[in-house]
Amino acid sequence: MTMEYCKQCVYPFVSVNLHVDAEGVCSACKVAEQFSELTDEFWEEKKKLFERTIETINLNNSSGYDCVVPVSGGKDSYYQVHKMVSDYGLKPLLVTYHGNNYLPEGDYNRDKMREVFDADHLVFGPSVDVIKKLNRICFRKMGDMNWHAHCGIFTYPIIVAVKFQIPLMIWGETAWDISGMYGADDYVEFSARVRHEHGLRGYEWYDMLDDPLDPLEEKDLTWLKYPSDEEIIKSGVKGIYIGNFFKWDPYTHTKLISKKYGWKASEKEFERTYRRVSNLDDRYENGVHDLLKFIKFGYGRASDHASKDIRTGYMSRDEGIEMVRKYDHIVSSDLQHWLNYVDMDEKEFWQIADTFRDKRVWRIEKDEWVKDNIWGEPSSYGPVYSRPEGF
Amino acid sequence: MKKKRLIPILLLRNGSLVQSIDFSEYLILGNPVEAVKRLSEWAADEIIYLDISGGEKFDAGRSDLGNAFKRTFREVIVDVADATFMPMTVGGKIRNRTDIAERLSQGADKVSLNTIAFDNFRMVEEAVLEFGSQCIVASIDYKEIDGKLRAMVDGGTRDTGLSPQSWSKRLEEIGVGEILLNCIDRDGKKNGYDIETISEISADLKIPVIALGGVGNWEHFREALEKTDVDAVAAANIFQHTDQSVYHAKKYLFDSGLSVREPMLLSI
Repeated sequence: MTMEYCKQCVYPFVSVNLHVDAEGVCSACKVAEQFSELTDEFWEEKKKLFERTIETINLNNSSGYDCVVPVSGGKDSYYQVHKMVSDYGLKPLLVTYHGNNYLPEGDYNRDKMREVFDADHLVFGPSVDVIKKLNRICFRKMGDMNWHAHCGIFTYPIIVAVKFQIPLMIWGETAWDISGMYGADDYVEFSARVRHEHGLRGYEWYDMLDDPLDPLEEKDLTWLKYPSDEEIIKSGVKGIYIGNFFKWDPYTHTKLISKKYGWKASEKEFERTYRRVSNLDDRYENGVHDLLKFIKFGYGRASDHASKDIRTGYMSRDEGIEMVRKYDHIVSSDLQHWLNYVDMDEKEFWQIADTFRDKRVWRIEKDEWVKDNIWGEPSSYGPVYSRPEGF
Repeated sequence: MKKKRLIPILLLRNGSLVQSIDFSEYLILGNPVEAVKRLSEWAADEIIYLDISGGEKFDAGRSDLGNAFKRTFREVIVDVADATFMPMTVGGKIRNRTDIAERLSQGADKVSLNTIAFDNFRMVEEAVLEFGSQCIVASIDYKEIDGKLRAMVDGGTRDTGLSPQSWSKRLEEIGVGEILLNCIDRDGKKNGYDIETISEISADLKIPVIALGGVGNWEHFREALEKTDVDAVAAANIFQHTDQSVYHAKKYLFDSGLSVREPMLLSI
């Protein structure tokens, strides 16, 4: 099977949740087109809808806080809080899941938030031993050591919102522009479904129990338990995405928050992508976590970033393809950092990683993993450590 | 007084649950079974599950998911039936009575027939006799062509030359149990139901009519229930945008004094 790609961006058709139309254009590009065609009047209406929505949600709020803002300390976090505090004068409770993977700039940005925004900030970090176990369990189970982070980020803020009876949660970007799950005019709320299926890959805390190599107990994972429908309805908690109500432009946002609040981008270049402003809260997110996406589906963060930048007009498709060629396959040095962190040897890493290779992308030739590329010719991407079923 | 029903429609395309816009654009939502569990927990009165796939088989190709997507519509239906106690209507790609018997044995309570009803009218008559009116739903997709309403088949691509009014009447005459009336022009548009046509057809027929197409907020359900004689109001996309969607929609209708079942949550 040959790999096919969207005609406008650099996404392969195997990309998660992508629908490709008869003209060969992917749903993410379609949704982005829809967004770009939206008029100022549309956004003006959306702004009013936002104001009505937060008023309705907060009708019976007597918690003392106007909203929970889940923050990592990244550029989007700053923008979300900026919007709430500077534009609307709200009193937020900032909530952070600390997955023990922060980069130094990420630490700085996160800790600076309560100062520059004059806001209370709750930072939650689970036991490092439990996190390490989850790293290993989830790497073996689903080829994703960062499952704990996805789950923590998607779960802990709503636990706090329900506990403190703060009905309004402010999320940032409409995450579905990556794949085009929803249209520009869909009024979408934060949901258990998006969390469970897309954030958590269909796994929950109870799937992490009874691992023979890394035993965990229920009491270790209280922080991963999503509140029930009853609790959510009773406390009236709703999460809304400000990306649904205000035009989302990460480059403009980054400029604004750097200037106004002294937010810092990464000082070093990342090895697997050209953007320096994303994922400073997690050293593996642009590194070995993302390398696993390449191992599974044959594309990586540079494809994500280039596709986004092509859609917003910051890059041509040819430039995008160069980024893919340069970055997507790189085995980044944080692999060694992670192997030390969880005490695993590199051979074992590759043996497990190989079990997740996607048959639609990869084939084996002369004991090497080979795939077709967006620039037309196939290449070989390293030796086969284990041969999954079907190859 | 008989309670009016609120029915989420689920659209399966090539193995995934999708949103549909204009019968031509699809946004992939995700796992086709998980969503049903949720609708069940929010106490939907029943569901209609339609297969609108291009082909027969699909491989999501993922080995990193806890809930791997199934390959065929059949497998999905078996899992969906396991996941819920709600009455379920299943439609899409049904060509003969064997297909109907198979869907029913897999856990469907009713089947929905569309293209086949037009192409093989006899088969539907026989199906009504064999399985009973109560389990045969006729689905009519209609749109405006040159100022006239036309019932369409083959996923909205082939004109039957019949108006939805006369076509629904004929289907009633041969004994189908219900009509699912879907306005193609409003698919995914959020601009509300085609009240005029729904009103006309539901007043004209004795069998229950289920309205579909265009719901963009809960008020649109209310409008159809207040202004027409429909038995049930249905929608697809909107139920997938928020959590507890069915609960909140029902609560809105219940609090508005309409004759719907009280909102509740079930633990499945």
